[in-house]
Amino acid sequence: MTPRVKRNLLTTGRVLLLALFLLGVLLPIYWMAVTSFKPHAEVINAQNITYFPQTFTLENYNQLFSMYDYGQMIKNSLIVSSSTGLVVTLLSILGGYALARYNFRGKSSMLLFFLITQMIPGILVIIPLFILFTNAKIINTHLSLFLFYLVTNLPFCVITMRSFFERIPYTLEEAASVDGCTKWQTLFRIVLPVMFPGIVAVFVFAFIGAWNELIAGTIFINTPDMWTVPVGLKSLIGKYDVKWGVLMAGGILALLPTAIMFAVMQRFVVEGLTAGAVKG
Amino acid sequence: MDTTLLIFLLVVVVLFVIGFLLLRHYEKQNNNAARRLKLAAQPYAFIGPVLILLLLAFGWPLINSFIMAFQNYKLTAPNAIRFNGLDNFQKLFDDSDIWLIITNSFVYVIVSVLGQFLLGMILALALRRKFRGRGVYQALVFLPWAFSAFVIGLIFRWSFNGEYGVINDLLVKMGLITEKIAWLGTPGLSLLVVILAMIWMGVPFFAIMILAALQSIPADVYEAADMDGCGPIRRYFAITLPYIKPTIIMTLLLRTIWIFNSFDLIVVITGGGPANFSQTLPSYMYTKAFSSYDFGLAAALGVLLIVILGVYAVFFLRVTKYNKAGDF
Repeated sequence: MTPRVKRNLLTTGRVLLLALFLLGVLLPIYWMAVTSFKPHAEVINAQNITYFPQTFTLENYNQLFSMYDYGQMIKNSLIVSSSTGLVVTLLSILGGYALARYNFRGKSSMLLFFLITQMIPGILVIIPLFILFTNAKIINTHLSLFLFYLVTNLPFCVITMRSFFERIPYTLEEAASVDGCTKWQTLFRIVLPVMFPGIVAVFVFAFIGAWNELIAGTIFINTPDMWTVPVGLKSLIGKYDVKWGVLMAGGILALLPTAIMFAVMQRFVVEGLTAGAVKG
Repeated sequence: MDTTLLIFLLVVVVLFVIGFLLLRHYEKQNNNAARRLKLAAQPYAFIGPVLILLLLAFGWPLINSFIMAFQNYKLTAPNAIRFNGLDNFQKLFDDSDIWLIITNSFVYVIVSVLGQFLLGMILALALRRKFRGRGVYQALVFLPWAFSAFVIGLIFRWSFNGEYGVINDLLVKMGLITEKIAWLGTPGLSLLVVILAMIWMGVPFFAIMILAALQSIPADVYEAADMDGCGPIRRYFAITLPYIKPTIIMTLLLRTIWIFNSFDLIVVITGGGPANFSQTLPSYMYTKAFSSYDFGLAAALGVLLIVILGVYAVFFLRVTKYNKAGDF
């Protein structure tokens, strides 16, 4: 084999591989989308499973909103996820800044503690919190979910924010302070604007983390008007007659916000992930 | 939005403003001693809120779990809560399913981690060299990372449905099977479906991590190897792999814990069934706690979990020398 043939072979193999991976990701999503556009009769026709809707319909999406009040679930999810994203981002900016720019006593044990919180199974924390929240009379409120999502997303986000800070040369801050800026002015006028993409990435992490969570939702929330999207859809599976078309429609709508956020912020999210996750 | 959340958010914002004003106030004072004190206190002021929140939210429940594990704690009988020694642990190991569940947990973790790792590695290697449209391709192929385990679970549960599922239909059409398989109703197969979903969900994460590590390898190392006439396979094992080894080890170890702890896929796809054949320790704990409301028994399971994870964490710290480095 001449080197050229060899290189062509390698390229072809690579393209094939990439195509296979793409198919592997897209086919399940395709199947979900197709199911969501079929009428119920076609979905449960076991003799003839169609790979494209014979009759294209939006009836599943309609039912989702008219029969199951999906609008309310989306609203609940949005409230909880955006408050989580907001507060996590604020606290991460402060915590990340301290970890990136100061050396202080107890810093390494703090970092170890953050890592350990990531190792603790969620369910172990959820059960005592359930009792605590019940006693505090905040069970079945947005606040209970918000608090849980806040503490479960904080460690990773603080660590990620820290590494975003570390990428900004300290000389930038020094120059600012020579020019007479105070610490807060430096932080707000110089550092944060440069870090804007990183800040948005951390918000996206926390938002997605909260938006996607199911287990705590099923435990802390117990009336339909408070259901978040995953909890609401989960209750639909439990029903005796599962309407898969409706469920798939709900799934598509649940994926949309996170998928769009990810696609837009892909570069920064990936950066944050590699920076924060290798390290903790 | 309920008022409690609103009040809480307001309090957070107000605290921020107060902190901000206080710091500005002190900043203006030129007293030397006060300034030095302020400098030393600054990092703690910044990280304090996070630390206090986390200590409360993780510390208190953990201590509570330990106490509950030795109590007769049933939510259905709040007046009969008392210490009962090792009764919960006795009950736990009298359960004939416990060994099945422990085995499931390990099978689930090991197969999922290896699957994610191997596929993630292949994807990262294929993505390594720049090509036109790589950004768009990555945005698509990494999508499952942003997806909720819940929706992924739904897709897999629906696709592997015994009667209407697309997987059975495809297999029949390809002539691989003649009769439809009850994937979710068959011991062994139901866990397999959960594992497949877990692998699908986790490949992007591994690919992202390994790709980043690959891109940090300096190009001149490869040039030198080329000059010495190194073939691609030898090059991979002699240069690439050693270079990215630290990343791989760290990612593998952290991912193992994450997968071990995560069970939303199980809850959505099989509910642990049939007859606990796809149940793992955390999902069993969830089931025990919220179907029978026997929190004491669930807490005993939690202690068992902590013991397993504790052993693992010590192993982890040894391997990565995480604490020796003193820093991430």
